[in-house]
Amino acid sequence: MTSRIDTQIILAVGAVTALTIGTLGVLVVRAHRAALIAELQTSADQLSETIKSATLHDMLANSRENLQRQMDTIGSQRGIRNVRVYNKEGRIVFSSDRSEVGRSVDKRAEACYACHAADRPLEHLSITARARDFRDTDGAHLLGIINPIANQPSCSEASCHAHSPEARVLGVLDVSMSLAEVDRNIRLSQIRMAGIATVAIVAASLILFWLNRRLVVLPVQTLVSATRRVAEGDLATRIPVTARHELGDLARAFNEMVARLAEDQRKIVQADKLASVGRLAAGVAHEINNPLTGVLTYASFLLKRAGDQPELRADLEVIVRETKRCREIVRGLLDFARQTTPRRQPTDINAVVRHAVSIVTNEVALRHVELAVDLAQGLPELAVEADRLEQVFVNLLVNAADAAPEEGGRVTISSRQVNVPAAGHSRITSATCPKGCDLIDPTLRIRGVPAIRVLRACAGREAILHLDPTYGRFGHLAAEACDEGLLADFACARCRTSLALTDAGGVCPRCGAGLFGVNVPGAGQVAWCRRIGCHFTLWEAEEQRGLRAVVEIAVEDNGRGMTGAELAQLFEPFFTTKGARGTGLGLAVSWGIVESHGGTIDVVSEAERGTRFAVRLPLTVAAREA
Amino acid sequence: MSDRPAGACDVLVIDDEAVVREGVTRVLAADGLAVATAADTAGGLVHPALAGCRLVLCDLMLPDRSGLELLRELRRRRPELPLIAITGYATQDQMEAAESAGATLFLPKPFDEDELLSAVRRALEPGAPPFARRR
Repeated sequence: MTSRIDTQIILAVGAVTALTIGTLGVLVVRAHRAALIAELQTSADQLSETIKSATLHDMLANSRENLQRQMDTIGSQRGIRNVRVYNKEGRIVFSSDRSEVGRSVDKRAEACYACHAADRPLEHLSITARARDFRDTDGAHLLGIINPIANQPSCSEASCHAHSPEARVLGVLDVSMSLAEVDRNIRLSQIRMAGIATVAIVAASLILFWLNRRLVVLPVQTLVSATRRVAEGDLATRIPVTARHELGDLARAFNEMVARLAEDQRKIVQADKLASVGRLAAGVAHEINNPLTGVLTYASFLLKRAGDQPELRADLEVIVRETKRCREIVRGLLDFARQTTPRRQPTDINAVVRHAVSIVTNEVALRHVELAVDLAQGLPELAVEADRLEQVFVNLLVNAADAAPEEGGRVTISSRQVNVPAAGHSRITSATCPKGCDLIDPTLRIRGVPAIRVLRACAGREAILHLDPTYGRFGHLAAEACDEGLLADFACARCRTSLALTDAGGVCPRCGAGLFGVNVPGAGQVAWCRRIGCHFTLWEAEEQRGLRAVVEIAVEDNGRGMTGAELAQLFEPFFTTKGARGTGLGLAVSWGIVESHGGTIDVVSEAERGTRFAVRLPLTVAAREA
Repeated sequence: MSDRPAGACDVLVIDDEAVVREGVTRVLAADGLAVATAADTAGGLVHPALAGCRLVLCDLMLPDRSGLELLRELRRRRPELPLIAITGYATQDQMEAAESAGATLFLPKPFDEDELLSAVRRALEPGAPPFARRR
């Protein structure tokens, strides 16, 4: 396909060049020829004038011998073919070719026609009219020019012979010059033109071939191979945007398309994961729970009646315990699959905590873990769904008990009202670009909250970036990584309007780089530093509101703590550190529940010191809905 | 419970899974209750025990008709009869649907002997609440 584009373009350009240069060549050669002939005509005319004046004396003296000698001399000059003098009757009276003398010419012959066309002699003719281009009987190419010899008083008064004073023209001097030199020059110039044309066509074709290759073929090939790579599933493929013409735009559009594709794929994988969990949960619950009912009823029935057979009792206890574990796994799946809004009622959160503690007390005691409860008095009622928050606290308590060491394990659950700063707690729930496009992406959540979708250009590569919607947090998700320290440009992913902040305050106080920001309708603007890795952000409107009160329920253990990688995956479905004992759904479900209450779960973990989960529930919810 | 008429039955269990019917029967019979079973809606509605029983345990997913329809029909025929909805798909929606269809209690599968017996006893108590659930 590429070779066909090449060939077609080169053939077309070759043809156009050939036509142009050919036409130009013909015109130039013609002009050249005309110039040469005009020059020759002038010199022939001058020559004939010279002959006329040179022979005047001999003519007046009627010195025929001298005249003939002069004709002979002039006729033998290089380039001069013939010099003749005709009398009025058209008879050759002198000629450099003596054999012609005495011969008559018809006045209608070509040489005479110019003057005698209307049967009446004319004297004042232009050089062109007096000149003629012809071939003689030998085929030689000649230029003839006639020059009428006008009557003068000296002629009619001469005593030699009688020219009547009435006659105006006494005869005609006819000089013929060879055009061989001119023809040769023109031929040379034609050859030269043809040579130039060939060189020009070849050069134009080569230049065009090179330009076409550089500007069209190579970029298109890059695009084609990139498209193939994308088709093969490599969504990290990007084309370097070097061209500033349409193919550059195409490359940019391609990059954007692939970035979006990659982003969509990521979302689809995530959505798919959740959807599969939902389907799996429904299917598993239905299919597994019936046989589990059989096992559980029979096993528990037998266990009650095992009486004094300790070995049988022990075996049956294992069956009952493990069957109940299966039941919990299936319930976890169902909880995860369920996405309902909480039914909130004004609730004493301490009562919910106490109930959760009562549920886990036995289990925690079995592991010899000490459970401490430290509840603040006088907390305001919160508008929450008690059952679901209870599930969260049970989950956190069981996790903490699991994480606590076997010797000296200790778990604490506490409640208190705290004032938290905007950073780390305020959420950006609506965001727009300067032109008003909505930037919130409900399809991608960062730690459970819909993220802010922008376009980031970094080191010449554009990619979608999802900004962490919790003010002061930097859990941004980039479709493409970018080196720390680089300055990136940010724009609206829809209208491409730059998000750079150019006003006086638009400089990062930490690193001096520029800032970019989004508008939060009714709550000012959130700004971030443009430098990758610089964690500066400012939401002035929220900072000015100062600290806000929340109720915090914290669950702490004194276990081994978590690694950074474990922390990062903590709220992902199916992530578990408990091996076969966990489903990896507990925290994902808990996060969903807390999030649906407008709250947050914060985790702080220190190696060998333990982990602290803090559930923070806003008081505003209670004030608004209680 | 020795004063009940011969041939009468206390509990009717309607579930399409044989192992569930048998397990429930075993547990309840050991507790002294007379149990009859049916495998689907049609079988449940024509069962001779239905007229005289004191409690029905009904699965919500039955092969012929929805268990919810069966609950509504049972409630229509015997407004005072305690009904326990049992299901392997224990979601909030199912629970609410069961409640509005007339169930007295909601018992998610799987359950052990104690859980089953306590649900049955609660349902049979004269002052049982109109609807309760266990998890």
